[in-house]
Amino acid sequence: MAKLLSIRQLNLDIPKEAKRLAEEMLSDLEKSKRPVLEAVKTSLDNSFYNPKVGFLTAGDKVVRTELNVSSVQKLARVVFMLEILLRNLDIGSVNTKRELYYICKGLIKGDKKLKPLDFEDQIESDSIIDFIGDMLRVYREELNCFANDRGGQTYSQQLVVTETMPDGEKAVVDLSTLGTSPFQPKNRPQSLRLKVKKKIDFCLIIESEGTANTLQAMGFTKRNNCILLGAQGVPSNAVRGWSKLIQEELRVPMYFFGDLDAYTMQNIFRTLKAGSAASLIRNADFSAPEVKFLGVLPEDVKKYDLPHYKVKESDPAEARALKKAKDALENDPFFSDKKNKGLADILRWLIKEKIRCEQQSFFSVDPKDPIKTEKIILEKIRTGRYV
Amino acid sequence: MTNKITKSSTAEYFSKNLQQVGFSSPLKAVLTTLKEAVDNSLDACEVAEILPEISVEVKRLGAGSSKNSELVQIVVEDNGPGIDPDDIAKVFGEYLASSKFGKGQCSRGQQGIGISAATTWAQLTNAKGAYVKTKTASMRKAFAAQVDVDIKSNTGVVRNKETLDWDKKSGVRVEFNFDGRIQLNGDGGLITYMEGTVLVNPHLTLHYKLLDNDWVHIERVSNQVPEIPQATLPHPHTFKLGEFITHATLFGKISVANFLKTGFSRISDQSIKDFIPKGLPKNLLDKPVTSLKEEDFKKVFAAVQATELMAPSTKSVLTVGEESMSKSIQRLGQVDFFSVVTRKPTICDFKPVSVEVALARFINRNLEADEPVQLLRFANRVPLQFDKSGCAITWAIESVNWKNYGLSQPKGSLPIGPYVFAVSVVSPFIKFKNASKETIDASEELVEEIRRALMQAGQKLSRHIKKEFREADLERKLAHIEQFGPILVESLVRITKSNDARKKKAEEGLKKLLGRDSEVAISELEEASERLSKQKARDAKKMGIEVDQEAEAERLENTPAEELEENNNEKPAAKSTTKKSATTKKKK
Repeated sequence: MAKLLSIRQLNLDIPKEAKRLAEEMLSDLEKSKRPVLEAVKTSLDNSFYNPKVGFLTAGDKVVRTELNVSSVQKLARVVFMLEILLRNLDIGSVNTKRELYYICKGLIKGDKKLKPLDFEDQIESDSIIDFIGDMLRVYREELNCFANDRGGQTYSQQLVVTETMPDGEKAVVDLSTLGTSPFQPKNRPQSLRLKVKKKIDFCLIIESEGTANTLQAMGFTKRNNCILLGAQGVPSNAVRGWSKLIQEELRVPMYFFGDLDAYTMQNIFRTLKAGSAASLIRNADFSAPEVKFLGVLPEDVKKYDLPHYKVKESDPAEARALKKAKDALENDPFFSDKKNKGLADILRWLIKEKIRCEQQSFFSVDPKDPIKTEKIILEKIRTGRYV
Repeated sequence: MTNKITKSSTAEYFSKNLQQVGFSSPLKAVLTTLKEAVDNSLDACEVAEILPEISVEVKRLGAGSSKNSELVQIVVEDNGPGIDPDDIAKVFGEYLASSKFGKGQCSRGQQGIGISAATTWAQLTNAKGAYVKTKTASMRKAFAAQVDVDIKSNTGVVRNKETLDWDKKSGVRVEFNFDGRIQLNGDGGLITYMEGTVLVNPHLTLHYKLLDNDWVHIERVSNQVPEIPQATLPHPHTFKLGEFITHATLFGKISVANFLKTGFSRISDQSIKDFIPKGLPKNLLDKPVTSLKEEDFKKVFAAVQATELMAPSTKSVLTVGEESMSKSIQRLGQVDFFSVVTRKPTICDFKPVSVEVALARFINRNLEADEPVQLLRFANRVPLQFDKSGCAITWAIESVNWKNYGLSQPKGSLPIGPYVFAVSVVSPFIKFKNASKETIDASEELVEEIRRALMQAGQKLSRHIKKEFREADLERKLAHIEQFGPILVESLVRITKSNDARKKKAEEGLKKLLGRDSEVAISELEEASERLSKQKARDAKKMGIEVDQEAEAERLENTPAEELEENNNEKPAAKSTTKKSATTKKKK
């Protein structure tokens, strides 16, 4: 099988490094010394935010797993999974996490001795895969473990994408020639190169893919020199990497348009702009620090008299989002940095007012004008009403 | 004239509304009849200070007269004081003829409705009321007769009188034949009723035979007849203003201070002084109550309510007691471990209340590990078996977070596991949701009081559960070493493409490392087992089982791991596969 394209310039030979770790563990055992594995601690308390860098980076904290009666199960599982991943790298085979879960099940079924390793749930095998990634400090894609490329449907009349195929061939995609079909990026955006036929004024990322499609259908990309893309909720690696690529290659202003609520602000927008604590080792390639929050802004609710809802504190999901928002203001380095004061102020406003307002509420402003939402968005961009 | 109308309407009312007093279905008819007969026997024995010995027989005689029912015979015989033959018409055939009504005592029966309703039901479905045999200590021969209810006049009618020999000093035997349906197990089952009655009556010896099953004999574990709760003076905090004023009129021309002191419990000279800063005008104290205006009463009442007084007398609330409950619980089966809590009486909704809780795990009781716990509810020592969901006791259990105590519990439901939860609420004035006394009204204060008792009992229980859990955890860890060690080494050898010599050396190294761990783990496990056994021995002592300490210690020392393991088998967390290897490891 042909070698897969690399995600980034990686100064690490994964099989070699894995073998080195295994060698070290084995020789520790021979000397009756307890082997230790260390992985980057991927949590908020090990996240740092430097406004000049723009995304969350990892601190010095590590998760240390030393061999003892309690950890022997985890270590056996890590080494077992590592062997599967190394084999995949060797033969150039790729899998999703769920497929790996079943591959493990298959191997365990075939060998009675392995029975105790069995995973009861995919969560268990996922955490082992994540540990291996954090231990080697590599992306899961670099271990040939891919996620579904969800979201990121992109429309533009000016953008041309050149993709380098695994076999070295190049594919050129002119987005203006796709008719009503969108272009959808894979989560290896680093194999893509971007060109423009005409100067692009801005890139608009919309939380709801449905709304992005509506704007497109009503001629948004015909009237504006722009890139329009739908995020489909919490941005997947594909969307995050793709946004980063647009930012780096085209240097155009980027705006995000989504709901006004604590969940969108912290989970969707923060992840798009600065990455997340869970993905500390990959935020560098999977976040777009230049993207601005276009709305819905608190001031829009008032200015356009937008219909909005009280946050139901009886609803566990909404109550959790509010509590998380309070936590974020205290502990999230992204929101505590003064560069993001405007965004933190929105969170504070949401906690205080306890309301939420959806992006689609712009369609209530002038219900008879099908492109009123487009007009508001453009006016907001023109007058600089974003954060 | 007025008198007559009232009487006839009482019996007529109940004969048409038997569903309100527990006869709403054939199933309930059986249980209610049995319950009323047994309650009366127990109450009578307690009044006469006789240790009760009751025998119960339930038979199926054939098809019933109404659709979907069977003709059921219930016979209840006691060794109580017996009923004077002149009284049996009143007791079995007249509604609201009670010796207990409104007395402020924690007796099982209160109004005098139940047994007359049972007679009515038998009469309505089988054309014959109750068949009663009775003998008091002063009678040489027993008296027997059939008692019917004259519904029009609410009086009992005694038929077919006879006198006969009965080799019993005193007692009553009552027999009902009526339409019903018999269910033995489950919440509304007869066995559940029998067990519940046994649990909260440690002084009861019970013999019962249900259908074709063998006779079951359960001996008493306490030789003390519960002291009949005295009908004490009412506690002022149980009064509402109107009642307070009416109460005052009963005392004639006495001073307010004297009225308060003699008309209520828990009011002393000191309390009278305490009322003054709380707003009782000092000049009222010496005035006669008869001269008080409503406004004055309001002031007195408000001051009394605002002042803290001693809790109502414990004498007005009867409890089974932790010790007796501990002994009694083992009559339901072989107890693995249990926890019992008797709360001090307190006031809920202006009424003195005492809550007792017993939580127990049994060794062999056919309780499923993944089913909700078996719940036994009691009000004044009478099992409640229907309409569980609306009951204050159920609400209280569901409001406790049992996970804290090591039990699993689906959100807002009863916890899961092979446990029996027995909760008893005792009060001279229990508020039921209906006249059939199936459900205790769930007021906030009462639910909170029950909840506290449950949490105390839960804490005690959790000591057991957590110790067992630690034990299982240690065993699991030991198993880990055996299972995962070789897999780890083999994988490493494959990745590094090493030879057998290295593999062997690594295996030895691993053994050494984990051997150290397992030694520590084993000694911890032994310590935990010892602690748990000591706790169990203490409990056994509490239950009254004689445990030979030395023999027990020896037994523990020699207990092979298999047995320790067996004790843990109910633990859902522990997997049997992991346990086996733990055992082998320990033998080494």
